[in-house]
Amino acid sequence: MEIREINIHIKRNFNKWQKFLKKTGITTFSPKETDQVERTFVWEDDGEIMATGSIAGNVLKYIAVCSKVKGHGETFNQLVSKLVNEAATMGRFHLFVFTKPQYVQSFGYVGFHVLAQVEDGAILEAGTPDVHDYIKNLPHFADQDNSRVAGVVMNANPFTNGHRYLVEQASRENDHVYVFVVSQEASLFTFAERFKLVKEGCRDLANVTVVPGDSYMVSYTTFPAYFLKDNQDVAHFQAALDAQLFKQQVAGPLNITRRYVGSEPFSKTTDIYNQELTRVLPPDVEVKIIERASNANDDVISATKVRAAIANDELAVVQKYVPQSTLSFVQNNWSDLRARIKEGSLE
Amino acid sequence: MDIKKTALAGTLESSDIQITLSKGDNGVNIDLDSSVEELYGDQIRKVITDTLAAYGIKNANVKAVDKGALDCVVKARTMAAAQRALETTDQPDWEVF
Repeated sequence: MEIREINIHIKRNFNKWQKFLKKTGITTFSPKETDQVERTFVWEDDGEIMATGSIAGNVLKYIAVCSKVKGHGETFNQLVSKLVNEAATMGRFHLFVFTKPQYVQSFGYVGFHVLAQVEDGAILEAGTPDVHDYIKNLPHFADQDNSRVAGVVMNANPFTNGHRYLVEQASRENDHVYVFVVSQEASLFTFAERFKLVKEGCRDLANVTVVPGDSYMVSYTTFPAYFLKDNQDVAHFQAALDAQLFKQQVAGPLNITRRYVGSEPFSKTTDIYNQELTRVLPPDVEVKIIERASNANDDVISATKVRAAIANDELAVVQKYVPQSTLSFVQNNWSDLRARIKEGSLE
Repeated sequence: MDIKKTALAGTLESSDIQITLSKGDNGVNIDLDSSVEELYGDQIRKVITDTLAAYGIKNANVKAVDKGALDCVVKARTMAAAQRALETTDQPDWEVF
């Protein structure tokens, strides 16, 4: 068999590649899944694809070996090896795989460790730095194992009075609170900006520690789910996997026994997420759903409204929803933020 | 010698070992995955540690995924990873042989 790199963003290659994967039972090829694919390798026999694998950021995906291949396991190892080595030459040493439960063992043989697993799939990681390094490098407290520790995960795009309200509740009811800020760059405010504003907005709360979510608290809706069948529920799968990941890898080692989330009257995605958290986290981690903070006249505070106000050039409206620290930042960067909104489809 | 960057050498195919070397600050820590861990784990660790010591590497985090590699392969892969991690690929340390 010969290894060849192909560009799947060329129609002809894509069709051939897709045809092969469909035979192996992979049916999802939405742009959301395929757009991020940077490099794809195929193993061919007489011009026919027998195995393939791709690199998308720090995720290995669309990995499949034809069942007709002799030495199926060997080919699989060769394939993962090739992807890991290519990723290394791109400077990526920390990799993730999302796969069906039945393939977890095969990835285990090539050095991938399960971070979380649910009925429909699992997330595994390999390389360095890993989740143990992440946990080790977070601030720890004296007597943490005997303290009441809570966790809050937020994107904070940007930090509002609503976020502040949630953190205050957690701060009052617990000895320590970790606020994890989603590190992924997919928002109007950059990670550095969001992180800074959360820190500033929580500065006076002595028992609150603001930390980056790193690779472990990402926007779960971006979890690859290409291996699910059409009739499987992607949103529930992603939310459940994220909840399980938090429970196993983060809450456990940090002794977090409560997670605070805001109630979700508007967004269906977040509502599904809260449902899954409530299903997966207890009894180890209690889920506290806090009623969203509102201004007078039931004007619910939300970051979405803040971003809309920026887009509409209404600084007075922003002022209604955010603390002084966020307001100053927004004010000082008003034209830049508005330019970002105009430029892209950033949310 | 200090590790300058993370480096990887080797494959996941049978009779090989994949070594990833990265910065550490607490001696040499080896995280070994091997199907023959019980029988040869200590030997594999020793070869890796000795090879790193020959390069003067005192602090490093090592991830090793072993697929039944012989000692000479373990040594070779560790050397390759070390040279890459130290950014000395253009001046191989012949002494280590």
